[in-house]
Amino acid sequence: MFKERYQKLHNSIVPDETMISNVIRRAQQYECKRRLSGWQRGLCAAAAIICVMPLAAASSTGYQVMYAVSPQATQFFTPVQRADEDQGIRMEVESASVHGNTVEVYVSFQDLEGSRIDGTTDLYDSYSIGRPFSSAGGCFFDSFDEETGKARFLISITEWENQKFTGKKVTFSVREILSGKKIYDHIDIPIELSAVPDVEKTQQVYACCGGGLDYPQDRNDFRSLVPGRAMKEFPVEGIDLTGIGYIDGSLHLQTAVCYRNGMDNHGYFYLTDKAGNIIHSNYTFGFRENEETENRIDYNNYIFDIPRDEIGQYTLHGWFSSGGTLTKGDWRVTFPIEQAP
Amino acid sequence: MDEQTLPADAGSEQVIRYYADLVWHLAFARTGSRNDADDIFQEVFLRYVRKKPHFHSEEHRKAWLIRVTVNCAKSFHESARMRKMQPLQENLVWEDPETHSLHDELQRLPPRYRDVIHLFYYEGFSTDEIADILHRKNSTVRTQLTRARAMLRAFMEEDENV
Repeated sequence: MFKERYQKLHNSIVPDETMISNVIRRAQQYECKRRLSGWQRGLCAAAAIICVMPLAAASSTGYQVMYAVSPQATQFFTPVQRADEDQGIRMEVESASVHGNTVEVYVSFQDLEGSRIDGTTDLYDSYSIGRPFSSAGGCFFDSFDEETGKARFLISITEWENQKFTGKKVTFSVREILSGKKIYDHIDIPIELSAVPDVEKTQQVYACCGGGLDYPQDRNDFRSLVPGRAMKEFPVEGIDLTGIGYIDGSLHLQTAVCYRNGMDNHGYFYLTDKAGNIIHSNYTFGFRENEETENRIDYNNYIFDIPRDEIGQYTLHGWFSSGGTLTKGDWRVTFPIEQAP
Repeated sequence: MDEQTLPADAGSEQVIRYYADLVWHLAFARTGSRNDADDIFQEVFLRYVRKKPHFHSEEHRKAWLIRVTVNCAKSFHESARMRKMQPLQENLVWEDPETHSLHDELQRLPPRYRDVIHLFYYEGFSTDEIADILHRKNSTVRTQLTRARAMLRAFMEEDENV
């Protein structure tokens, strides 16, 4: 039976326990940060890290919290303190900890000349983690300290083949730092959806990208809205809403970003019904104008399969990120992974 | 999974542990990659902790996690960052050649078919339930299941019907 074969496949592979523990720890750190402030945050972060250690995994009792800030607890962190400086921005690899088959590294960025580092600082896709072993790695924004002006990132690397981290060297490098972004966090978009027209004039485009649950996998040509003038109802700077309408029974929305000015401007639309349920687009596709030129424009199209006579029951919302200052440079630090003594 | 064992006021650790398998296996079914499944797993539960949604039942919480997992998987592959990345080579080791070849065959299915296959055959949901959870029409789910089965015909028994 197919069912048994399928279940056998999934039963033979399981999520990594260390990965689960790491997610639990990050969740606990986030909850602590939300509840507490100031010096209490450090205490809580240390307690959360203790919670993933085998001997202290049961619960975070008062004793463990006290233990977390004791000198013995800090043995799990190895100071690295290696730094590189370029364009007046200092990147420092602060500390590393090894637990199980995962190594975590804190890296901070500080603007020595101005205020280009802030709470929205993003390494975009310009970072790389060089390591001489098979592993999966990622870099995540952790926090911004307004007093010191430091944005801190957490690099997490999980090795795959039971190799020892200790003694290996890792190179972390960054080419671009994006900051000063404006986040439009789940905004309402004041467009009366019941008044959205059926579109008569469309254009055939070839998608350069796209995806979604119902994305047609077997073709890359789409009927699209013809880009119009930016609609004033859309409040996001750096992203224009260039069209909304019904094509073939589906609601289409279209945004445009001028690539030269837009850098990493991006976001998405969603609908909510009267009960507050969120409905994401069925699929999206993108196409470009003036590709390979300075005037390149990226168009994104969002398609919702909501019948025309039901759309009045929904409201339109979105999350967008735009603007920002891009600093290009070359920051690079190589450091050894050392087991704490 | 015995859903009576998770208390209504369960903390994040309890919820993550309780639903770890559900979320991770769905993410793996969708991506076919351990590494991507790990990333999606992390994103789903960080969204859970950040949003702290209110649920009126355990079924509601479970449906929310399934839907967010599917949406995260979708966003993951749409993201500009992902499009620019070269996929890491993973050497998944399977117990036998048939399992290996089933895994390969599943990767040929459109992602939206993989969701339906997984929820139907692994989680045991009916097509009605899948339609409710994923906010798709029941007819769409049945069509996707039928097409997926046709594409997997080498592994299917002739007598299986929805």
